[in-house]
Amino acid sequence: MLMQIKDLSLNYGDQVVLNNLNLDVNQGELTAVLGASGAGKSTLLRLIAGFESPTSGEIFIDSKLVSDSKDVVAPEKRGVGIVPQDSALFSHLTVSQNIGFGLPKGSDARINELLNLVGLSEYADRKPASLSGGQAQRVALARALAPRPKLILLDEPFSALDAELRARLREDVRRVLRAENATAILVTHDQEEALSLADRVAILRDGKIIQSGSPTEIYNSPVDLGIATFLGDSILVDGHVEDGKIITALGKITPLNKVSEGQVGVAAIRSENFYLQPNPSGDSEVIGRVFFGHDAVVEVQTPKLKIRARSNGPFAPEVGMKVTVWVRGAVNFYPSS
Amino acid sequence: MRKPPALLKALGIVAALAALIPVGYLFFRLGAGSEKAIEELFRSRTIELLFNTTLLVVSVTLTALVIGFLQAWLTTRTNLGFGALFAVLATLPLAIPSYVMAFSFTATFPSISGFWPSWLVLSLATSPYVFLAVSAALVRTDASSEEVARTLGLTKWQVLVRVTWPQVRPAATASSLLVALYTLSEFGAIAILRFDTFTRAIYNAYRLSFDRTAAAALAVVLVLLTLVVIWFERRYRGDYLSISPASQKRVRISLGKARPLAVTGLLFIAVVAVGIPLYSLVNWSIIGSSTADLSQILEALLGSVSLAVLAGVAITVFALAIALWIVRYPTKLGRFVELSVWANHALPAIVVALALIFLGANLFPWLYQTTALLIFAFLILFLPNALGTMTTPIAQVPKSLEDVANSLGVKGNRSIFKVVLPIAAPGILAGAALVALTVLKELPATLLLRPTGTETLAVRLWSATEELAFSQAAPYALLLVVLGGLPALALNRQARKALSEVGK
Repeated sequence: MLMQIKDLSLNYGDQVVLNNLNLDVNQGELTAVLGASGAGKSTLLRLIAGFESPTSGEIFIDSKLVSDSKDVVAPEKRGVGIVPQDSALFSHLTVSQNIGFGLPKGSDARINELLNLVGLSEYADRKPASLSGGQAQRVALARALAPRPKLILLDEPFSALDAELRARLREDVRRVLRAENATAILVTHDQEEALSLADRVAILRDGKIIQSGSPTEIYNSPVDLGIATFLGDSILVDGHVEDGKIITALGKITPLNKVSEGQVGVAAIRSENFYLQPNPSGDSEVIGRVFFGHDAVVEVQTPKLKIRARSNGPFAPEVGMKVTVWVRGAVNFYPSS
Repeated sequence: MRKPPALLKALGIVAALAALIPVGYLFFRLGAGSEKAIEELFRSRTIELLFNTTLLVVSVTLTALVIGFLQAWLTTRTNLGFGALFAVLATLPLAIPSYVMAFSFTATFPSISGFWPSWLVLSLATSPYVFLAVSAALVRTDASSEEVARTLGLTKWQVLVRVTWPQVRPAATASSLLVALYTLSEFGAIAILRFDTFTRAIYNAYRLSFDRTAAAALAVVLVLLTLVVIWFERRYRGDYLSISPASQKRVRISLGKARPLAVTGLLFIAVVAVGIPLYSLVNWSIIGSSTADLSQILEALLGSVSLAVLAGVAITVFALAIALWIVRYPTKLGRFVELSVWANHALPAIVVALALIFLGANLFPWLYQTTALLIFAFLILFLPNALGTMTTPIAQVPKSLEDVANSLGVKGNRSIFKVVLPIAAPGILAGAALVALTVLKELPATLLLRPTGTETLAVRLWSATEELAFSQAAPYALLLVVLGGLPALALNRQARKALSEVGK
């Protein structure tokens, strides 16, 4: 295990930012810490980098204690690289000088290697002011990777970019991190980013990691309703368990998680779980449609409640059409305590 | 494209021509009495002045740079504490005209004179310029790049040298060269502290011996020195770096054991720069209050205020005309007018005064020693500053608003009065007030050009100090700070911005 965080807490006066947070990061993995804005994601990175000292708890890197409430190893001695949100390039230096900033003199080979890796060889002598947002982020990544740190921290590195660029840069970052065999922690509020990019996803809420696992595990089995609604668009439907099925206003649904007979609670149905069958005598009616091209979100009024369903774009039913609503696949059920 | 109204052009051209007078005079003077002038230039006295002036300019500039930079860095980047308080203390000397500060030192320590006190007073009076520029740059530069540098293996002191300094260097260079220009053209403080530099020598040559050729020859050297400083500024200013919004989260650098030392140092500077002058002014004012002649004070106050208002209005009219011309109707002629007005921005007041005395005495005797000529001198001296402060609010009014006004039936250039001026009014008024306050505090030009019998606060302070009548001088000094310095500081946009940002 490369990094281990044990019971880490941070308070600013009365304000609790992190509360007994635990997180392990394995060598060579990309871990995404996913949380809403203000959840303390950036603070967590600053603690790992050694910019802040915890109120209590410990951080180990390579089994060596680097932070506790008494002592914090200085940032320059931790071997942790950081890629800030706004890239924060040294504006008085060129691209290659930025990349070589943390390297001893005469490391031109390493600088060129990284310039190639991030695809910016022609920009070596440019000043940061002349770079686009995506290029600046690549330079920031190369600069952080240059001294071969044990751990790379990425603080919402794509949030300032437009959607198309973001998708491309994500691919590049993943490729570069793999090529360097780097261990990295990425914090983000974008669930799509976390799920598509990371080897492991850890969800930060109320100052602690409430669930961590592979992207599929996290998406398919959120441990509670909060995560279920946070990850993807879920419709919550009241129901109870009868003969191993969840009985709801939308019919009998197969549970994905373990349930016991007679439980009362809520089923979280993802919008892609709905199937809308056009049916002139159906009891539900399409009342709204937002078209995205590849798919569409269709709003449907059923006799008891309103749902949002994701539907194949070109074949999505029109507003005013009568439909029958089916739930495909299994869904998670959360008993009320 | 629209054409500029004739009135704007007329005012602009008058201002441009006026701006050419001082330099024109120097050329004329040198041409007319070249032999005598050259003789004057090679006297050992001139060499001594050159040495003194250079010594003072270099030492004051470096000292102000060190003080201002440290104040800015300590208050914005470290765990010094009381950041807002120290920012106020670092800015406050701006409210004290440098000759008032010099007076307060002489009044407290009557035996001091020469280089050291001049160096001290001017360094303290000018360090706020460096502080304001550098702290603004520090607040705007991205502190996260400093944190990144830490993760790349630099200690906090290495970061200061390799990352922080390069990022604020343009601001530091520009402001310290401003300090150099200020010191070059300074007259009052140096004269009160009796250190022989060009400005004092020019004044004495003219005042004591009425030797205009000698005065003009010295003025030429002074102007050349000014040009050297301006060249330096252009050459070494460097590119202004693109500034990214500073990250909100930032841990201040821990000063560790150096913290008490830093606090003591800053407090010490504040005591000398603000404490001693205030104590001295208040103390001597109290001593002088029993014998003060209230009617004399009122007379001087009235003289200062009326000059300030007259000159303020005149300068504002010209500055507005030129600002509107260059912002709204960019033409080559407008550009030329702007440049020629700007050419005077570093010209020492004493040189301008000398040129106008010549003009008045030889060409327009009916103008000589009139209020009009004095106002004209203020126009030449302060139009560049006024233009600077008034261009911004006018340029900030979107051009499209005028188009909209026209499309709604406002005829042609009347949109200036209907739209541009009302929107820019707050900025224009602040600029006008600032110019008037600068005139209120002006000393050398007033001293040389005032009509006989015109008294101002600065002139009274000057004559009383010359007679070593400190208790008589003190009320004028106090009034200059309270009515001139403090309001000017309050209107100073850069200072207001710094005080609202630093220490957060």
